[in-house]
Formats: sequence, C-alpha cells, structure tokens
Amino acid sequence: MFKEMQSLANAQMTDASPHKVAGFYPYADNGGTLAAIAGDGFVVIGGDTRLTTGYQIYSREASKLTKLTDKTIIGSCGCWCDSLTFTKGLHIRLQYYLYENNKPISTNATAQLVSNMLYQKRFFPYYVSTIVAGLDADNQGAVYSYDPVGSTERHRYRAQGTAGSLIQPFLDCVLGRGNQTAPEPEKLTKEQAMIYLKDAFMSAAEREIGCGDFLQIMIVTPQGVEEERFKLRKD
Amino acid sequence: MSIESYNGGAVMAMAGKECLAVVCDKRLGARLTTIGMNHSKIYEINPYLYVCLPGLATDALTVYQRLRFRVNMYELKESRKISPQVLCSMLSNLLYEHRFGNYFIGGVVAGLDPATGKTYLYAMDCLGAITIGTEGFVTGGHCEEQLYGTCEALYRPDLGPEELLEVASQAFLSACDRDAGSGWGAFVYIVTKNKVELKSLKARMD
Repeated sequence: MFKEMQSLANAQMTDASPHKVAGFYPYADNGGTLAAIAGDGFVVIGGDTRLTTGYQIYSREASKLTKLTDKTIIGSCGCWCDSLTFTKGLHIRLQYYLYENNKPISTNATAQLVSNMLYQKRFFPYYVSTIVAGLDADNQGAVYSYDPVGSTERHRYRAQGTAGSLIQPFLDCVLGRGNQTAPEPEKLTKEQAMIYLKDAFMSAAEREIGCGDFLQIMIVTPQGVEEERFKLRKD
Repeated sequence: MSIESYNGGAVMAMAGKECLAVVCDKRLGARLTTIGMNHSKIYEINPYLYVCLPGLATDALTVYQRLRFRVNMYELKESRKISPQVLCSMLSNLLYEHRFGNYFIGGVVAGLDPATGKTYLYAMDCLGAITIGTEGFVTGGHCEEQLYGTCEALYRPDLGPEELLEVASQAFLSACDRDAGSGWGAFVYIVTKNKVELKSLKARMD
C-alpha cells in the first residue's frame, strides 16, 4: 500500500508539471512488529523496540506499546511519526471521555474509538498497523487488530507489522491448531502465552532484519499492568 | 505481481536424524485463479535425492527436463549415481547459464547419503546463488516468509522420521494457510536409509 501511495503521489506531480519537481513523500516505513495473545483473565502484548528506515537503525529503544488505562494497551507501528501523532490524539480523546463520563473507558469502547479515529483520516491515512489489547467487561482477554484505515476485527491472538507474516502462522499452529486433531492440551495460561510470544519474536528476529534488539511485553490482568523486557538479536 | 509468483506454490525440505522430509503444496494457479489442485513441485532424481522447483510452472518443467538430461549424461559418463553436492552445482550452473534472461524459478535440493545417513540441503535463487541449509531446513516459493517463521520456531535438531513428519507438516500447513498463493494440501516425502514414504496431506481449500 505504501508503494502504491508513493507512485500515486509521483504520478500526480509529473502529470501536473512539464518540469522535474521533487516528489511529495509524506510517509516513511519505520518497521516494527507487534503480537498479542488473549486468554481467560489476561492478555499479553509484545512489541520489538527497533526503529528503522531501510537498512538503517534509528533506535534500539523505541517503545511501540502505550498503556491507555489499567485494562487497555495499544501497540502501534509503521510510520513512526504517525504512530506518535495517533497515540497522542487518542490520549486526548480518552481524557475527554474520562471528564465527560467520570470513569475510565472500556476496552471495547477504546477499540471502536481507534477504528473511528483511523477512518476519519480515510483519504490521508495514518500509515500504521495497530493492535489494541485489553480485558473486556467480563475480564476476558481481547485483541483487536486494525489496518491503516480502521478496518478491525477481534481475535484471540494476532501478529502485525514487519515480521507479522512470520509470527502469525506460528501462532496459528500453536494456538489456532487448525491442522491438529489432538484435543486442546489445557487452558492457556499467562506463563504459556509469554513463552509463545518470546519464541515467536526470537524466531522472527533470527530471519527478519526489521525485527530485533528488545521485546517489550505488557501483561494485563485484573490486578493491573506488568511490564517485562526480553533481549533479542541486535544484528 | 512478479512473474515468479504467477503460479504460486511453496516448497520446503527439513532434515532429521538420518532422515529427510521434502514437502510441497498442491496448488497451481494463474494469478488469483486456482487451475490445478494436484500439482507436485518435487522431482525425484533418485530415491535418495530430490529437487524442488517452485516458481513459474512452465520454467520448472523445462528446467527439470534439462536437468534430467544432464543428470542422465553424468551418470552414463561416470558410471555412478549423482551426489547431492554435484546435483546442486549442476542446477546452479544451469540457472546461471541463463544469467541474462533467467528462468523464473527457485531451487531446493535435498538428499540423504544411504551409507552414512548424512543429510544434504541446498536452496538457490533464480540465478543459481546457493544457500546451504545448515540450520536444518530450507524453503522456497510464494510463502517463503511464512515458512521461515514457522520453521524457525518449530524446528528441532535430530528428529526421528515420525516426529519429523509431524513437525514438517505442521510448519508447512500453518505457513500455507496464511498464503493465498499456496495450499490445497501437500505432498510429503519422508526419506530414511531404507525406505521412502510419500504422504498426501489434506489442508484448507481456500
């Protein structure tokens, strides 16, 4: 989609003027990978902390996860400036919600708000891949994923971003179990979900140069949000 | 969409302890249309040696025929079976001969030495640049990215034939299910010192 947008911008420029003019490139791809797993009474969301442009590493310490409330986390990656602007705008909307309703926003209301905010920019989108992870009204884990223009779906687990295509099939295998006849072993625990998440990111960092440095994990339970850091490959 | 992904399809080879799994999907497409559901990408050179040619199907058939000719000539001249290393060089040379005006295929060579049980895995790009599969698996085709993700996470060294079948099949099917260009089931060759088993796997058909 990014390339299509660039070529569209270029085509418009060259058509308008007989002279050579510099193109208008409002987007950058700064990479980043996100993954989240929901369970009974918890949700874990992980994001790598590498910030890139092409083969260059801007930062090894750029957090892609933001705590919104005690029950909701948002992860955002893609065009870094759009990620920052979008989460900043979201924070403002959540403050307004708090003042108007006198209670923190629920996870599914946040999920709908994020979709609406992305779609508001339908014709000049934020170039971001987004995951909202949190606990719903029944304290069940919920994972919502979005495309840049706000198309959304609730999942049990989801991977997005640069290494999303490497991680998603692995999660399909161990959590979706679509090609397995053996019965589900036992209820997914928080600890097991963490192990899957670490495995997934370690494997992705092995093969995808846009993924690496550190894995930042946020664990949401009814007791609150915990944070953990895990080392990944740095090359 | 590049011409290399016109027909879709994926291949993978995985090494275990004195055994080998060679896997391919069954789909043959024309861009987004599926036109064949039983199309193997694995070609048997001899029972211990297999070559997989993912990419443009018409080129794959041509390259296999030309490779087969060269293998036959080699075995007649030398009066011995071709080894995995030689086959890999032969395919690499054949592809590089068309450096300008290349075939739109990748190449995976997988072999087992029946005397020692040692496994040999190689992958190459459309120009014949060889990657040696020292990690224990090689991949190719339309869902290479997904395959790298699943193989890297699920592979363990020194698996026996039964475990290898399970791990290779799970890795391959999970990867194919996330790719619109590959799927419709899979063929798995499990090669051991004294036996070759060909399994046909069912998968999602969308």
